This record gives sequence, C-alpha cells and structure tokens, in this order.
Amino acid sequence: MKQIQRDGLLVELIDELTNYGSWCGETHIQKATYFLEAMMGIPLGFPYVLYKHGPFSFDLSDELASMRADALLEWEIKPEPYGNALKTTNVSAGLKARVPRTLARYLPAISFVAEKFGTRGVKDLEKISTALYVTKEASGRGCEARAQRITELKPHITLEEAKEAVCFIEEMFREAEPVIREIGGGET
Amino acid sequence: MLNAYQKIYPNRFSTHTLRKVNNQVSFLGRLGSLEKKVRGTAKKNNHEIRDPVYAFIHMNSSEREVLNSAPVQRLRHIHQLALTNLVYPGGTHRRFEHSLGVMELATRIYNAVLENGGTDSLDIDGKYDEIYYLRVLRMAALVHDIGHAPFSHASEDLFPGDCNHETMTLRLIESDEMEKLWAMLKIQTEDVAKLALGRDHPKKKTFSNTEAILSEIITGAFGADRMDYLLRDSHHTGVAYGRFDHYRLTETLRVLPKTYEDRSKEPALGVEIGGLQSAEALLLARYFMFSQLYFHPVRRIYDIHLKEYLQAWLEGGRFPVDVTGHLNLTDNEVMAGIWRASRDPDLPGHGVAKRIMMRDHYRVLYTRNPDDVLKYREAGLAIYTAASAAFGEENVRHDRPKIPASQVAFPVLEPDGRIVSSLLKSDALRHIPEVAVDTVYVHPDLLDAGRAWLNENRESIIKSGSELEDTA
Repeated sequence: MKQIQRDGLLVELIDELTNYGSWCGETHIQKATYFLEAMMGIPLGFPYVLYKHGPFSFDLSDELASMRADALLEWEIKPEPYGNALKTTNVSAGLKARVPRTLARYLPAISFVAEKFGTRGVKDLEKISTALYVTKEASGRGCEARAQRITELKPHITLEEAKEAVCFIEEMFREAEPVIREIGGGET
Repeated sequence: MLNAYQKIYPNRFSTHTLRKVNNQVSFLGRLGSLEKKVRGTAKKNNHEIRDPVYAFIHMNSSEREVLNSAPVQRLRHIHQLALTNLVYPGGTHRRFEHSLGVMELATRIYNAVLENGGTDSLDIDGKYDEIYYLRVLRMAALVHDIGHAPFSHASEDLFPGDCNHETMTLRLIESDEMEKLWAMLKIQTEDVAKLALGRDHPKKKTFSNTEAILSEIITGAFGADRMDYLLRDSHHTGVAYGRFDHYRLTETLRVLPKTYEDRSKEPALGVEIGGLQSAEALLLARYFMFSQLYFHPVRRIYDIHLKEYLQAWLEGGRFPVDVTGHLNLTDNEVMAGIWRASRDPDLPGHGVAKRIMMRDHYRVLYTRNPDDVLKYREAGLAIYTAASAAFGEENVRHDRPKIPASQVAFPVLEPDGRIVSSLLKSDALRHIPEVAVDTVYVHPDLLDAGRAWLNENRESIIKSGSELEDTA
C-alpha cells in the first residue's frame, strides 16, 4: 500500500473514531489501527510489539508524528484529568479527497472498528488487543490456553478477564466476517 | 541508604556526590588534592575514564573486560556522525565514547529513578533484582551500538535483505566472545539484548512493563542514548543548540503512572514538575540539532555520496553480515578505499570518491516548503521525478528520510501528587515542530540551469503531482 493511501486511511479512521465518540488519544488510534490490520486484514504494514498497554507500533507512532509535521493532524489538549488527543485538519480533508477508491474500499472495516472499539477505555482495549495478539500468535490454540498466555504476558489481567477477552475476540471475528469478505481483507 | 550503584561499589562515592565535589573543588581551584582524598578509598577494581561531557566514566574490572572486547573496541573506528566533519570539522568523534557516555548516563538515570521512587518504581511486574538489572543495564548501554556498519546510519541500507544494525547488534551480543563475558558477569544474554535493542529487537516481540521502562532508560525520549548524542555531538561539532541541563533532568526523572481518561494507568518515564523546563530544553535541543546538524543538507548529501561509493566498493554492493566480516570492516578501510579510488580512475567508485575528497558534492536544488506541502505532500518527489527527466537521473538526488517521533507527551508529577500530561503543562512542548526533510540535489555543473528550470516549472510540477491517481 502506498503511503498516501495508508495515511488517507489513518485520517479516515481518526474521523470515524471521533464520530463514534472516541477519545482519540494515541493509544486509541494505535489499538484501532491494530484491529484494522490484525482482524480486518487491511495491509497497512505497521509492525507491532506487545508493549505496556498491549500491541504497539513505534512505526505508526512515527507516522503520526510525520502527519503532524505535514499539518494532517494536530494535538487537541483537553483539561485534566484528560490528556492529549489527535484530530484531523483541513489539510487532511484534501488528502482524503485524493484517495477515494482506497477509502471507499476499506470504509466498512473502518466503521466496524470505530463502532466496536472506539468508545472502549484504554484498560479494556489493552485486554482485547492483547487477546487478538495472542490469537494471531497461536491461532490453533484453544480459549483456555490463549487466556493463560495473556496472564503470562500481562500479569495484572486475571484469568477470568483474559477468558472474557478471548471470547470477545472470537465473537468479533464472527461479526466482522461479512465485512472482511466485502473489503477483500488481506489483499493489496 | 545505599543506592544500587553503591551496593556494587560499596567503597565509592556516587557519581552525583563526585560531581558535586568536583564542581566545588574546581571552583576553588583545589581539584587535585580533594579529589584524591575522595577517591582514596576506591579499590583497584574500579576505574575511571576521562570524558569531555561527564568528566569521568566509571567501570569495574569485569565491565572493563567487555569494554576491551573486539566488538566494543571496533567502535573506536566508527564515526558517530559519518562524514559530518566535511561540514563541521570538529565532528570526528566515534561511537566508542558515545557508548561509554550512554553507560554512564543510563546508570545515573537508573539511580535517580530508584532514589526518587524507591524500588517500587521499577518493581512493576512483581519480581525485580535492582543490582542484577543495573549490571544488565550498564552492559546493554555499552554494547547498544556494536552492530553499526562503517559510518553508522549513513550506510544502513547496505545490509543485505532484512538485516540491519540491530540484527548485527543481536548477533554480536549472542556471539561466543560476548557470551563468555556475560557468563563471567553473571547476566543473561537475552536480558542484555532486550535492554540494548528495546523496541527494535529483531526477535523480541513482547515486553514486560519492567523491560519496557528499563529499555526506555537507554533508548526512550529521556533515554541515555538521546541525551548523550545531543550533548556529545553538540560538544564536538560546536553546534551549541544541543546543550541542556541534563543534571537537572536526570535528577527529576521518575517512573510515573501515565493516567488515561478511563483512569487506567501504565508506567512511563516522566519528570517531577521541577524538571519540566529541562525536559523542554532537551526536546528543543533535539529539534534544533536535527534541523541544524543531523539534517543539514550538505551533511545529508555526503551520506548519499558515501553510500554510492560503498555500493561500488563492497563485494556485491552489500556489507558482510557474518561476525568476523563485520568486525573486520570499519571506517578506516572505507576511508582508505575512498582515498585510493579518488586518485585512480580505474578503481570502482572513482567518480564519487573524488567528489567526496574534493568536496565537490551535489548542490541543493529544492528544499521542503510548508506551502508546497499543503498543495502536495510529496512535492519533493514530484520535483525529483521531473528534474530526473529533464537533466538525467544520474545528475539528480532525492532525500526524504524517515524521522522518529519526538515524543513530547509524557507524565509530569505535580507538587500535590497529581500526575498530568506534559502537554497540559507546557506551551513550549505543544508547539515544538516535528522535523521533516524533503530535499532535491543536482550535479554542481547543472545548478544554475536547474534553478532556472525550477523557477519556471515549480508550480506546474507540484500541481501535476497532486493529481496522481489513487491506484493500488
């Protein structure tokens, strides 16, 4: 995927997350992008490591900074106890206008992710994104084994919470199936 | 109470104490006698190395074995800033002293973090041995750059396949020579690799909170790597923008829970409110050093010319990736090759070698302009493509490097115990721009013609570039 297409999708994702009432901090954008890639199969090409709050891509973080440098995104600072969020700009609207086919193709997946995950808290996102990470890491393993693995990786998550997160991911995969088919997820 | 450093070196004063003493006695002009008195209790096991940035770097005899290993000694022959000395003549320092500096500074940060927050601050995952991890941290800091190819980042693209300097660092950390040293120091190879490589570890895809924080002490926004290269590069090149109050910053660093809107928390390196101005100074220093030094257009074109020479000179145009081949190749061999090739038209890379030696580099035709970016984000690429068509691809070069995020958002501890985002507390941080570079160069003989051509065609090129169709 070309950079312009990828950034167009990121801008669209941030707009959709905002529309669905997401806080749109960088952690939300990180997790939502991970769902787009790992669940919906959109080949954005960001590598992820399992970090402090679940899957995290430093390349994506650098890309968001580069988009700020090019006036496609800007900080939105909100009063305490809230922190900083990212929002799109007039310039980013112009970018979206240049990739209409890409946006049209992947919009159903972006809307799905924004709706299902956008308003969840960071703690919740950590659990379910880690469940997705573990599922992708060892797709053949049963729910119990995956939940166990989550508690190994994230000791502060209880086994019960981990099981719930794994079940939720299974359910999301089922719900997402028609959308994944529609967008031809995984193809470039 | 003894800190972790003092537990390893029970007869020593901490670096902080030494610095305070050094500052006092320097001022009074009695450095020699008082320093001797302070150091009188040190065992032979402990060693100091003079350093222009920190005055002294400390290590014990076991650690010195690592310093004397072939991979670390090789860094004496790898320039920190490639051919920057062709622009800033003082910039001839090597990765060796940087690595020592990172080790020293990482130790200071670690001690400050533990002293400020107690052991609990790093005991995030429930099991933590502070002395063991100090040893790992120091060694990881010392070896974090051993995988660099000649001229460091300038030639990174010439590793074959998916290999990069991090892959080579891992390979060397796991080599027989280094494995023996880790065993002697009673530290695990895997732990050294995790902290040395952090986020860029080629194999490690999962990080515990403790590992993440410790690796950030070396490679993070307030990590020892960043602090040292800014201070050291500034010192050697004479570009004063890189200086900041690292004493104040180091001593106010804390592991703080970064709080989210749902009240969830994750540990992150942050600062006490008293260190906020030092943190601002560091991030501003980074911005200025990137725009003034690291991305100076003439410095960058020499990276491009150097890479062109290496492609012609290296076997198959690629660096060797076996341990022996890597250890045998330094800047010295490359510079000798460039020197010879510049004088002998029959040697590979003669043209570009001569260009480097005679400072006859390609000249700037176009640099990034915010107005152009608003019209078309890839304006530089469009101009490069059009200029290549007009003047020949061999006469035009394009530079659009990927620049890591500056990471201006971090937690800040207020005097009343509240923890808030740095962006809420600092107007300066909110407005530090991200550095961006997009430069087109042209053969020196074509500079005048190129400029005339660009004046005539600039707007139409940028406009036509912005109309590229959306194809997969």
